[in-house]
Amino acid sequence: MAGWGSETHMPHSPTVEKLEKQFEELRSQLEDSGKLRERIRAVAMEIEYHADWRSETQTVVSLLSFLHWLETGTLLVHTDAEEKLGLNPTEFGLDIEDYLIGICFMSNELPRYVVNQVTAGDYECPRKVLKFLTDLHAAFRMLNLRNDFLRKKFDGMKYDLRRVEEVYYDVKIRGLAANGESAGKEGDQGQS
Amino acid sequence: MASKPQHHRPLAGKTQTKRQRTTSTNSTAAANIDSNPMKDAFSKYANYLNDLNDKRERVVKASRDVTMNSKKVIFQVHRIGKHNKEEVLEKAEKDLAVVRDQYISRLVKELQGTDFWKLRRAYSPGVQEYIEAATLFNFCKTGTLLNLDGVNAAIRPLSDPSMEPLQINMLDYILGLADLTGELMRLAIGRISDGEVEFANKICKFVREIYREMTILAPEIDDSSDMKSKMDTMLQSLKK
Repeated sequence: MAGWGSETHMPHSPTVEKLEKQFEELRSQLEDSGKLRERIRAVAMEIEYHADWRSETQTVVSLLSFLHWLETGTLLVHTDAEEKLGLNPTEFGLDIEDYLIGICFMSNELPRYVVNQVTAGDYECPRKVLKFLTDLHAAFRMLNLRNDFLRKKFDGMKYDLRRVEEVYYDVKIRGLAANGESAGKEGDQGQS
Repeated sequence: MASKPQHHRPLAGKTQTKRQRTTSTNSTAAANIDSNPMKDAFSKYANYLNDLNDKRERVVKASRDVTMNSKKVIFQVHRIGKHNKEEVLEKAEKDLAVVRDQYISRLVKELQGTDFWKLRRAYSPGVQEYIEAATLFNFCKTGTLLNLDGVNAAIRPLSDPSMEPLQINMLDYILGLADLTGELMRLAIGRISDGEVEFANKICKFVREIYREMTILAPEIDDSSDMKSKMDTMLQSLKK
């Protein structure tokens, strides 16, 4: 699906208007792809072909959940994701494993987002992202995972969490966070 | 509310404990109040995944049983000779029925109605072996190829009538057929060494036909790495 390539290089720009404009673009792209998905679904309704669409589905989930988090600060849950994709569980639902893998991909984006936000002057971001990602990681720990792809992605989340913790630490010790005074050096040093 | 995972699953348990020490201890405190909806959602996901994995285990076990017992049927059929044809086939038929009633029925129970495509890798080998056995028996009995409808008709009674009956799909059937040719080759060699050249010739013709049809079909099949190796083996069998 050609459309997804451009969306994965989503730029993390600071100013609100730019952000809104990008949301608009993203939303219209998602809508267009929604139409494409309808056509594909009409053809490939057979569950057998479902396996071919897994990585695309996962990518879509990661984008939708990232968007959702940027808009609301909460996690897009499985049932809502299913709805947004226009799937319903009785016919052809959103597979839970695909959903979870998509969430892991979203988590992969977060460290980069945080770094860019701080570079642009938003020093509150690390704290918010840290809390979210910590909660997310804790929730994932409730799952009993086998040694499969999902498990690998979950292991990667730990490293995402660590990088966000490091950014938060940098911001904190430079006194840049809410109770800080001067705008010292920007907290993007010591990042991998 | 501590966020420790349940350890009733020893497989994942060991690495879970390691992880708890590496993440910051603040997380357990922070992860309390706001994350409840997240936790509720994830406990549902955990249940789903646990159930899926349990089911997968059961399917693998059932599939292994199907494989072992189908092999027994195949050995039985190999014992066939000019003089004992009737009794050998009778026993084989009984054994095949046992495979159906005891083992395939378990597969059907687990897979019927649910997303069985997901577990395909778990049950496919067993199904292929069963097809091999059923078609081999059928050939020895009638000299014809038992087709997919025939196979499915035999197992349909095992399905719960309130749901869609579990049917063997085309791909597994074809893969099973490819194995069948190997068995037929073995049978032919056995027959020749017993002096039943006629029978061996019949087998050869039969295999040649199957091979011919397969070569037409093979390029169309996706996921055909299995298929390719089986085609090669088939050709070897044919040459022998």
